[in-house]
Amino acid sequence: MTQEPTADRPRIDAYEKVLGRALYAADQPITGLLHAMTVPATIAKGRIEAIDATAAQKVPGVVRVFTYEDFSQIKTTPAARGAYGQPGKGHQPMTSPVVRHRGEAVALVVAETLEAAIEGAEAIKVRYASGPFSARMEDELASPEAEPDRQLSSGDAQAAFAAANHRIDVEYLHPQQHHNPIELISTTAAFEDGELRIYEGTQAASAFAGGLAGMMGMDPTRLRGVSPYTGGGFGQKNGIQEQSVLVASAAALLRRPVKLVMPRGQLFHTASYRPRSRHRIRLGADEQGRLLAGLYETVQQNSRYDGFACDHGANPPRMYGYRTWQGSDRIVRVDTQTPGHQRAPHEHPSSYATECAMDELAEAVGMDPVEFRLANDTQNDPITGKPFSSRHLAGCLMRGAEMFDWNRRRREPGALVADNGGLIGLGVACGSYKGSMTAAVTTLRLFASGRCEIATSGHEMGQGIRSVIAAELIEILDVDPTKLEIRIGDTGHAPQHITAGSWGTGSVAPAARSAAMKMREELSALTGAPLSEEPVHVQLARTRRLSLEVTVNTIPLGKDGQVIEQLRRGIPSTTGPEYPEFMAFSWIAHFAEVHVETSTGRVRVKRVVSVADCGRVMNRRTAESQVRGGVVWGIGAALREAGETDPRFGGVLNNDLAEYVVPVNADIGTIDVDFIGEPDFKLNMSGVKGLGEVAMVGAAAAVVNAVYNATGRRIRHLPIRIEDLL
Amino acid sequence: MSDAHDSKIFEVTRRQVLEVGTIVSMSGMLPAAAQAQGSVSQPTPENGATVRVSFQINGQPGAMEIDARASLLDMLRERLGLAGAKKGCDHGQCGACTVHIDGRRVASCLTLAAKVDGRTVTTIEGIGSADALHPMQQAFIDHDALQCGYCTPGQIMAAIACVKEGHASTPEDIREYMSGNICRCGAYVGIVAAIQQAAPQIERG
Repeated sequence: MTQEPTADRPRIDAYEKVLGRALYAADQPITGLLHAMTVPATIAKGRIEAIDATAAQKVPGVVRVFTYEDFSQIKTTPAARGAYGQPGKGHQPMTSPVVRHRGEAVALVVAETLEAAIEGAEAIKVRYASGPFSARMEDELASPEAEPDRQLSSGDAQAAFAAANHRIDVEYLHPQQHHNPIELISTTAAFEDGELRIYEGTQAASAFAGGLAGMMGMDPTRLRGVSPYTGGGFGQKNGIQEQSVLVASAAALLRRPVKLVMPRGQLFHTASYRPRSRHRIRLGADEQGRLLAGLYETVQQNSRYDGFACDHGANPPRMYGYRTWQGSDRIVRVDTQTPGHQRAPHEHPSSYATECAMDELAEAVGMDPVEFRLANDTQNDPITGKPFSSRHLAGCLMRGAEMFDWNRRRREPGALVADNGGLIGLGVACGSYKGSMTAAVTTLRLFASGRCEIATSGHEMGQGIRSVIAAELIEILDVDPTKLEIRIGDTGHAPQHITAGSWGTGSVAPAARSAAMKMREELSALTGAPLSEEPVHVQLARTRRLSLEVTVNTIPLGKDGQVIEQLRRGIPSTTGPEYPEFMAFSWIAHFAEVHVETSTGRVRVKRVVSVADCGRVMNRRTAESQVRGGVVWGIGAALREAGETDPRFGGVLNNDLAEYVVPVNADIGTIDVDFIGEPDFKLNMSGVKGLGEVAMVGAAAAVVNAVYNATGRRIRHLPIRIEDLL
Repeated sequence: MSDAHDSKIFEVTRRQVLEVGTIVSMSGMLPAAAQAQGSVSQPTPENGATVRVSFQINGQPGAMEIDARASLLDMLRERLGLAGAKKGCDHGQCGACTVHIDGRRVASCLTLAAKVDGRTVTTIEGIGSADALHPMQQAFIDHDALQCGYCTPGQIMAAIACVKEGHASTPEDIREYMSGNICRCGAYVGIVAAIQQAAPQIERG
């Protein structure tokens, strides 16, 4: 079997999607469905004193109004929103009169129609006793944790920094951001075939069987999580949502199916988000531009009750050959809902801060920023001393520089001017993301008719995981993609692991590949001869069997058979970036060209070139799209997105898509993508590393560095707005 | 889906509809999954003040009594089983619910169902078939102009309108006139390329 490095095929589910036939969680046709609407808390912290539902109950069509008194049986377990698996933490709204953050649900109105549910919810009157709170980490009542979450060091960085010829000492601020996948987070709960089915666009269908059951005191085998398609996740849908158990409990109490589609404005307050963070960076280099020292201290906002760690310091020391390093990450607790993983959760903010700092240091040293990075390339991790499984970052930089025509860049800001008088700036930045994998139990069934079914762990949220599975089956078995049924995101078909952290491809590609190889073995044993060139289903038909099924457990590198049991129980278990013999990361280099209008300060990103080292590329077409998407996120972070917290009342002021500004079509210019395409077989048999998140890492920094090259202004907060450049 | 199968479902549908009496005629508009299961959602009881609307949807005539508060989007999705148009904001800010009324693109979440009385509505389900994709649908596949697919029905409906309005002659025009449809996955480069490919095959209105 040869591995085609860059197969270019249509996305396998594109056909269903362009026809409007792909059914997402809230699209399921369910008989007798009731509609629910939540009533959000209007205080940031305190207690509910009274709820008056009289008017709501009189709204025609309202079936029932639920309050905390109905849901006190719900247990807050490690699966609850914000617990991050830590016992005794997390917060489940509506299980007591306590309000811990603005916008959490205080009542749930269930009605025969959505219109009645909304009118009922608006008719609920709540009286609160409000308490003092802190909305932001800068506020007086915010509580810094005494101990850092993480510290990493290598050598005496303080001394090396003091002795360096060139030094910078800068602080970068990263705002709060919100994922805003276009699919609204929703929950539909229905008793079907003797089990409670939870339809939710999620990255973790197992969270229901494994987590919701515990919260509701139900037998986990009677709960099934179904997420056939997720309309964008980006990390916001990687666990049980605040409303999930409320809807499931309402359905259980009413013995009727219930659907709740959360309004976007409420999701800014109930779903996760990327927290505000501050990054102090001190870098020192010698006369030749060798990095002698890196000191990196970060602070991140967090809720009062969560276990979401601050992890900014993990990747920056691995980017270059630092002679010494010292880093620490701390959290500050405030009264909001729990933040969480948002695409490249810590890698994006930390790459923004450190890659902009690298640009500042390159200038201080007097080196070209690409040359400066190449001069500090390394094949070994400065912290552990282990080699990288593969690292072609220098190749990414060199190929990208050529594609981008980097040589036209001038060191002095504002030297390049467009025909319309705008200032042209060129910037570069790099990124990395851990190489991670999970276990899978995969069942593959081949039919003599040519049909093929595969059930495995994974969630399709647009990253193209179905296309990756198809690519391996096509390569090993030459199956017809139009006769292929891929069953993922459903605990009724296979145990499901949360899909996040860019481990999807590294997990499903080896799973599909090993199942396909086992199918060849079994078929060969059945026919009693080595397989011929004929289609496999024809060879199967000759044995007079209608179908052949194989099941394969895949255990990722560095794990043992226990992970399969964990997988069956819905417990996450991932690998990387550290493995016994090496460290594994994907790498990327981004080049950005911005034009800045001198009269208005408006920044346009005309062109981005991104070259990634993600190991083998499973599908050139979907991989390019994924990188473009990451770049669009980087542009959004650099120039558009920030959740504006209200210090007086708590909550996010710009809680809709008109005020929380994400990139639209007119914001995006040319994005050219290329790949190194070297398989990494040290990591897995498919030779793949992750792509979805590394695509974004460094992209914002490239834009910010380009803005500096155009204007001569170092803007050390995001997003960069017109007022920063006037 | 064969014609014979479609017509069989039509009979089931109409019988149910006549029993309940709120929906007068709802032929051939059920989603694939409902047809596959051989069942349809029960017609929604309308609790508030209702209005009677008659319309054409995707070439089929229909009429119903509907809650006066209901949006066109909630009529399509929650009453008619046409789940192609998506709810992404319910505020007319994202474009995922884009459909055509009398050939013009509208945000169906901001359009009251009552307003489609006497109008012709076209949704993603009505522009092509599995056997014969609309050129814009094919172009979206060819240029991978989608990822999660959630905004895609709205993007395609907006894209067809963009061409018919005469706003697809340059990439700059396409970007500007497609900026009411947010794609959070960031498939904008592919969307522009897809519209450029399909535009010559679509007649301007």
